Amino acid sequence: MRSRVNFYIVEYAINSLIRQKYKTFFVVLVLSTLVFLLASLFFITNSIKYELSATVNSLPEIIVQKTKAGRHYDIDVSAVDEILDIAGVESVSARVWGYYYFENAGVNFTLVGIDEYEEQYKNSFKSAVQKLNFKTSSMLVGIGVKKIMRNNYYKEYFNFIKPDGKLKKMNIGGEFSADTELESNDVMLMSKDDAREIFDIDESKATDIVVRVANVNEIATVASKIKRLHPDSRVITKDNLKISYQNIFDYKSGVFLSFFTISLFTFFIIIYDKISGLSSEQKREIGILKAIGWRVDDVLREKFYEGLIISLFSYIVGIILAFAFVYIFNAPLMQSIFLGYSKLKTTFELPFVFDIQTLALIFFLSVPIYIAATIIPSWRSATIEADEVMR
Amino acid sequence: MIELKDITKEYSSNGAHIVRALKGINLSVKEGELVVLRGASGSGKSTILSLIAALSKPTTGEVVVDGERVSKLQDNFASEYRRETIGFVFQRYNLIPTLSVKENIILPLIPINLDAKELEDRLFRVLKMFHIEHKKEQLVKNLSGGEQQRVAIARANINNPKIILADEPTANLDEKLSLHFIEMLRELKLQGKTIIIATHDPLFFNLDFVDRVFEIHQGEII
Ligand SMILES: Nc1ncnc2c1ncn2[C@@H]1O[C@H](COP(=O)(O)OP(=O)(O)OP(=O)(O)O)[C@@H](O)[C@H]1O
Ligand SMILES: [Mg+2]
Repeated sequence: MRSRVNFYIVEYAINSLIRQKYKTFFVVLVLSTLVFLLASLFFITNSIKYELSATVNSLPEIIVQKTKAGRHYDIDVSAVDEILDIAGVESVSARVWGYYYFENAGVNFTLVGIDEYEEQYKNSFKSAVQKLNFKTSSMLVGIGVKKIMRNNYYKEYFNFIKPDGKLKKMNIGGEFSADTELESNDVMLMSKDDAREIFDIDESKATDIVVRVANVNEIATVASKIKRLHPDSRVITKDNLKISYQNIFDYKSGVFLSFFTISLFTFFIIIYDKISGLSSEQKREIGILKAIGWRVDDVLREKFYEGLIISLFSYIVGIILAFAFVYIFNAPLMQSIFLGYSKLKTTFELPFVFDIQTLALIFFLSVPIYIAATIIPSWRSATIEADEVMR
Repeated sequence: MIELKDITKEYSSNGAHIVRALKGINLSVKEGELVVLRGASGSGKSTILSLIAALSKPTTGEVVVDGERVSKLQDNFASEYRRETIGFVFQRYNLIPTLSVKENIILPLIPINLDAKELEDRLFRVLKMFHIEHKKEQLVKNLSGGEQQRVAIARANINNPKIILADEPTANLDEKLSLHFIEMLRELKLQGKTIIIATHDPLFFNLDFVDRVFEIHQGEII
């Protein structure tokens, strides 16, 4: 008998929530907002984590930079052939790239030069090579760049200001896309010659050199050989890069963590407030129920249903809103907190990552805690002598 | 049968000050009897009712109902005892104002999880018996005092209790409604219920169907 769900109690609980409609509304509002905030933050983090790991995986095994007085200088292209002679090296290419600051919009673009006949060090460049017209000065741009160009009325071409102050006009030949948006969003892809011209880099020079190594276990050996060959260079391996990417992200997760803490803090304030007291009407109602024959556990079951219904409802609402906010609307405002590193002030398509653990974590942070906060004060009230109602 | 044996009850209101509400009460009420407890305000009438209903426990002595020592019942069993045996009409009615008449009346049955048909039958029976059927969907807070009292009596009878306790049932009623209440009492007495009424309303003292009247004075029966 007792194990059967008592729908009269469930009905009473629903009725009770409706009777206290303002309070119920307020709790749902606050609770679902908190769930929404937490879920959005988690979803964004998951998406970015996913993007980052995809990006890191597409990085070259070794990057060689020339340094002088601790600073990064253009490297001689002649080094390419020397490195190619090292055993274990699969391919070597000289990269021409850099950042271009677009003053009107206050953002940095990443300019990348590619060669039509060279082996491409990134998969995404392979299809780009087909698209890019190497005969005229034209370029492919990432989605983020495209949006900014459009907003600034550059639809067909863009004028770069070269170091000597002269203009370099480049046609916008199409869109550049890669596996991850993090990789392509702020990129302008063009021929190496055009990139050299815009940055004023001599033909015998390159920004850096990337090295592909066939066997992952040989990366360290190859790196040290390059270092011996070019003592004035900085040799960066994929592992180093991973760490620095992770660092950028860790700093961001600090921001996230503070958001997280604030949300939890707010939540616990509400919980504390709930635990610290019932209103006199609520106490009286519990007294009445006991006086007419409800057991303590009947009262608590009713309160359990109240808490469950209201918190589960808020949880579902919050999660649905967060899904819509992050994956349909791309988390306006919120994603800029996380994507500050690419100084591009543009939206970024967050990839959909479904993670049941995140949902479970938020569930356990909200529903059971709220239910406990509903039950505890009622339990205190229900266990005192019932003759309170006589007065 | 209800027996109160050497009952004393002390209240310690805020620590030091002790109120001796009952000072050695011995009382026995037989099945089917209608008994009136009369006495001035503060004499201890309500305290006696709450002890019989196991809403509170005596300081010394014991309350025995049908052989069961209800004054020793642990909290949850006291609830079950009330649910099965007692119908209490409280002085302030103790209805839930924001619930409808119907919802208030079925409250004692909710934990039992009866099937819908049975619940409906019982509800219909008391609604008719206490003439409140026409108001069953209304919120209690919108009812008059007399109507609220009928709801309170209907609720006290929904579990078909053997014992009915009523605390100052006519305190908020005019004479016509009081007489009406007395008619309802007569009906319950005819059904064989054991009834105890705490009151200082003279209307009750000379009724033909009242078996005994006890005078309570400062916590003692005189
Ligand atoms: N919970 C309590 N705490 C302290 N004192 C109490 C408590 N309940 C009752 N008393 C005291 O016990 C005494 C008896 O109270 P009780 O309510 O039984 O009287 P009563 O005869 O019902 O009075 P009335 O006619 O006013 O209802 C009173 O002096 C009252 O103040
Ligand atoms: Mg009283």
